[in-house]
Amino acid sequence: MPQTAVIETRALTKVYPGKTAVTALDGLTVGVAPGVTGLVGANGAGKSTLIKILLGLISPTKGQASVLGHDCQKDSAAIRILLGYMPEHDCLPPDMTATELVTHLGRMSGLPPTVAKERAAESLRHVGLHEERYRLIGTYSTGMKQRVKLAQALVGDPRLLLLDEPTNGLDPAGRNAMLELIARIGSEFGISIVVASHLLGEIERICDHLVAIDGGRLLRADSITSFTMASEVLAVEVEEGLAQLEQELARHGLAVTVQQRTLLVPLHSEDGDQTYDMVRDCVATLRLPLSRLEQRRHQVEELFRDEHV
Amino acid sequence: MTSMSERAAAPVPAGQIHDLGYRRYDGPRLGRSQILRALVWHSFRSAWGFGRGTKAKVVPILMFIAMCLPALVNAFAVARGNSPLFGYDVYVPTLRIVVVIIFLAAQAPELVSRDLRSRVLPLYFSRPLRRGDYPLAKYLALTGALLVLIEIPLLILYAGNIASAKSGHGVWEQTKELIPGLGMGLLWSVLMAAIALVLASMTGRRAYATGIVAISCFLTWTLSELLIQTEGGVTSVSAGAQLGGLLSPFTIIDGVRIWLGGTNEGLDPYKLGHYGPLYGLVALIVLAACLGGLAARYRKVSRS
Repeated sequence: MPQTAVIETRALTKVYPGKTAVTALDGLTVGVAPGVTGLVGANGAGKSTLIKILLGLISPTKGQASVLGHDCQKDSAAIRILLGYMPEHDCLPPDMTATELVTHLGRMSGLPPTVAKERAAESLRHVGLHEERYRLIGTYSTGMKQRVKLAQALVGDPRLLLLDEPTNGLDPAGRNAMLELIARIGSEFGISIVVASHLLGEIERICDHLVAIDGGRLLRADSITSFTMASEVLAVEVEEGLAQLEQELARHGLAVTVQQRTLLVPLHSEDGDQTYDMVRDCVATLRLPLSRLEQRRHQVEELFRDEHV
Repeated sequence: MTSMSERAAAPVPAGQIHDLGYRRYDGPRLGRSQILRALVWHSFRSAWGFGRGTKAKVVPILMFIAMCLPALVNAFAVARGNSPLFGYDVYVPTLRIVVVIIFLAAQAPELVSRDLRSRVLPLYFSRPLRRGDYPLAKYLALTGALLVLIEIPLLILYAGNIASAKSGHGVWEQTKELIPGLGMGLLWSVLMAAIALVLASMTGRRAYATGIVAISCFLTWTLSELLIQTEGGVTSVSAGAQLGGLLSPFTIIDGVRIWLGGTNEGLDPYKLGHYGPLYGLVALIVLAACLGGLAARYRKVSRS
């Protein structure tokens, strides 16, 4: 697949008119490469507005956006053939079976009748719904409903999936399953994916790239590795002698920071296990009671905050 | 052997998704008009309760039977040598306005309120269809469903009459009367579908939608009948009576029928005076307003 951007926006601005005009997007310029991309931002950051513009449902006040080389305003019908969209909120009729619904929506994506049937069965199987797919959607759990929402986005064989908060309302196990599924669709099915979420810690696990927006503006867009390179730390806790240990580690040239009762030691991937060994040796030398030694990842939120304050 | 034991040694963890390989689709894709046709057909079927549970079929099928019964009775009556019981162009207004109202009140919400309620519309609007295509498809589907409800009994009526016709001339006379009757059925379908859909699409709550459609139909009908009867004197007909019919869609349609030269008496015969063309104009305005309202409604829904 050529490495052209799947999504490109230039100075994209959307102001919702009214008595108190709301600026949802404020000169957003960003490019999204193929692969799995996290679109992160707090609620109200402009994620949904961006998605609606990309789908051609609303037009921007200013600026331009294109998806897979098609202009969002002039060519939105062509874009919608190539897109699969999973909305954030509930969008499934309770009185239909998953098979009926996904087949019908496959038809609405332009598939001929028999193809729609086959692909509906396949997409439901890909998301892990087997015999249940003949049951009414109203009897499904939240996790199953989320899977149906994903299956209907997948049925038309899209080149790009727009997933809006796909883990909404799921329990931790359900979240993990959904994230794994998304990662697999991205890596094995060869479909580019944009996952919008307000939970950075969650989606950073499955993304190749991150785009962070806030107040309708771009905070940062980069590959996930450039975020995580600097983000891994080793958390060390001892029952006593915290200050002693801090001095000892600093003496060995580690940039230690103290966070309440925890020492944070930055980890660099090129050092391998050296840092671990050094911490272990220092604790042993000082004969301190070690109560915790764990690798931790900075919340990506913190990184954004640090760089933009 | 080794591969067998390896497979056995690595059981699939519970909840894992079986991967049988993702298949791309490179075959032909339907264009917008074909997708639109698929949606019309899907909606037409659901207007009759097909593709839904058994319960969903009860009201439309009962109403269909209720519409057809008088035509069947007529066929027997004519076969016994009586004159036809109903004229083609007044078949709907004489007995069956109530049937049409019940059908619309039950099935218009089935077409639009369900989708609003379950918020399934973003799934349509994120697909190749254009924004106006969804309401257009629903309108065509309901119009089609009404045509079936209204025209098939007329055809039964026609079949019953010509079966007892004594000569080719009699058949020709019946055919000449049938055609304007079918035309009236078309006007009924086109106008009532638009009115019912725009009313039903106001809310996603099906019970409310049914109530809105039923109450507005009955209320306007009663109002206009009241006006026609109280103002319509025996010797002179006041303008109030002549214009009273403009208050309700049924009397508007009947007014158009009389204006266009309908000879049979409707449910409540009244004279239009010189206002005939006005009835035609109002019918067009109501139709345009309802379709415009429907389009505007879905323009708003697609943005939210």
